[in-house]
Amino acid sequence: MPLQEAGRISERELVLSRANRSVRLWSHVVDALAEGRQPDSEMIEDVGYLMRTTAVYGSGKFGAADREVIADRPELEAPFQAEMLSVYLTRAFVRDLAERMARQRGGRRAVRLDPAIARHLGIGNSTGLGMAPFLVNHPVLFNNWMLAREDAVARVRAIRSATPAETDMFRRLLARSAESVRRWRTAHPIQAGRVAGLARDLEALELRVRADDLDARYPWDRLMNWAAAALSMEGQELLASLMLEPYGELVNPLAERMSDRDADAFLIDGSMPIAELRLLIESSFGWALAYDWTARENTARAWYVSEEKLEPRLGERYEEPVAEFEQPLAPARDAAAAHAALAAWDGCRPVAEFLHAHPEHRHSVRRAQLRRKAPYGEIRDNTIGAELLPIDMLRAKLSFFGATRFDPRSDRWVRICMYAGAPNPEELTEENADLWVYPAALR
Amino acid sequence: MSFSLNEVEATARKAARGAGYDWGLCEEAGRAARWLCSFGLDGCGALAGQLRLVDGTDLRVAAPAVAARVWRAPEGAICPLVAGAAVSDFAFRLAAGGFALDSVMTPILLLPFAGAAAHRTGATLAVGWQGFAAMTDGRELDLGTGMRSGFAARADRVTIEAGGQVMHALQRASRAEPNPDDWLALERFAQRTYAPATPESRMLGAGAGMSDND
Repeated sequence: MPLQEAGRISERELVLSRANRSVRLWSHVVDALAEGRQPDSEMIEDVGYLMRTTAVYGSGKFGAADREVIADRPELEAPFQAEMLSVYLTRAFVRDLAERMARQRGGRRAVRLDPAIARHLGIGNSTGLGMAPFLVNHPVLFNNWMLAREDAVARVRAIRSATPAETDMFRRLLARSAESVRRWRTAHPIQAGRVAGLARDLEALELRVRADDLDARYPWDRLMNWAAAALSMEGQELLASLMLEPYGELVNPLAERMSDRDADAFLIDGSMPIAELRLLIESSFGWALAYDWTARENTARAWYVSEEKLEPRLGERYEEPVAEFEQPLAPARDAAAAHAALAAWDGCRPVAEFLHAHPEHRHSVRRAQLRRKAPYGEIRDNTIGAELLPIDMLRAKLSFFGATRFDPRSDRWVRICMYAGAPNPEELTEENADLWVYPAALR
Repeated sequence: MSFSLNEVEATARKAARGAGYDWGLCEEAGRAARWLCSFGLDGCGALAGQLRLVDGTDLRVAAPAVAARVWRAPEGAICPLVAGAAVSDFAFRLAAGGFALDSVMTPILLLPFAGAAAHRTGATLAVGWQGFAAMTDGRELDLGTGMRSGFAARADRVTIEAGGQVMHALQRASRAEPNPDDWLALERFAQRTYAPATPESRMLGAGAGMSDND
């Protein structure tokens, strides 16, 4: 399929993606292997992957099987399993391809890639704006992800005392995390500052857990409380992830709730009294009701789909002719508008009457009612303001895929790495299938 | 060509927007087309037909008054998407008696909304018009011995009432194979939602930034 987005696949296929070579690393690795030597480890560390995928399409896109076709299979029940597997296999395929090209070029002189280096290499990914609307368009799914994480963190914070094996594991992984941060390269000024802050956070955290007695009561809760004042957001989130690791049995079952099986969440409850709907809007978007939606800087952007690429784009509402093509990706603004329209209505009347008179608020009412099932379903910020950084939305989603080396290349597209450190298919065992995301040193 | 149901829903939603419906109703249109296709019925053809009918007209005059026992549009025929949304929203009134709708365009598009109403109320609903009868509990659809295609473009009176049960559930379909002309019509409507590229949008829309070819 030479043109990814002009292609068609069938119900027999689950995922469509493509990958581009890393110009920097590919020829270096193939040349070295063809000449019978291993590639330079510094270059390996610097780039981190041989190829990067772009969009990884599933769930019925371009004619693929719908999610429903596979959702009942236990191994694919959790969201994005087929897509993740395809990316993992692409990584192995890319290694095989590099070795094959080296063999063709070098003949007998060629060597295979050292398995330790192959393990070290991840697969890159370049992701753009297409992923940002996904968060807004799938509030229940996004809620389920956030809820699983928040639940997991809460469960571990509620642990009264930690065993030596648990605290040892935490300290070991903390040391290995410092190596992760050391390998994180980005030229993006905001992210570079955050990574530097994270490196300092890790030092502070190491000192803290050296001095702090993790044998005392509620060790993880105390640590998180300390972190709230002592560490940056990056450091706090990393700590929250790290402290889950010793407690797989406690937190892993939460992953089963991460998919969205609730097709009925879409249905509007027309019998709900308007007063209740107002409260729901206020609880999700209280901040947005006091916001000045007439200020140009607060509505500076508009999301639209470009005719040329058929992909989501972000335009400048007051400088480009895009407003009439705006997509419904400003839930906060729209909720505030619905709330204002509701002000004139008797709180006892059913929502159905309001909707019949105001079909233009239907999408906002639907979202507001989702609040009951999906308290984490909304981004609590303005998605059309002049200050918007779409890369923050991309990161929120990518983090759930286990992405590392988050490297923004502008305010709207990023590069990341996945599966660096993971065993390749032929070496994968129960024992090495976990914790590989925390790197050991290459040499 | 065979399309996934996800493609049907996405294209239908965009097509309805292209024809001028509000976003919330477009979501309903997408879901309605998908629902019909999931029972092997021609949801794409139904929606394409409906959008052709209302294209360029004032959608408000096709919205029925819903306070009366019999729903009527202020002018002409009732739009099944607007009325369907109301059927689903006012489902709580079904216990007190069914709905009757006078003069409805593309009445087959009301079925998914009756399904939603059935789902909300937990009652099985009977939907009928001249020469057509269906039962749905929201999960299953029963068209009895009636036809599976060639549905009326208009019905003089549609009734939606609680009662009965699904006896012969239609088989579920995981793909849709719309008539190419209908699919093209939906794509043409959808096309209207896309913004033409400008030099600025080419430069900035996706974020210029650094090269991705290194």
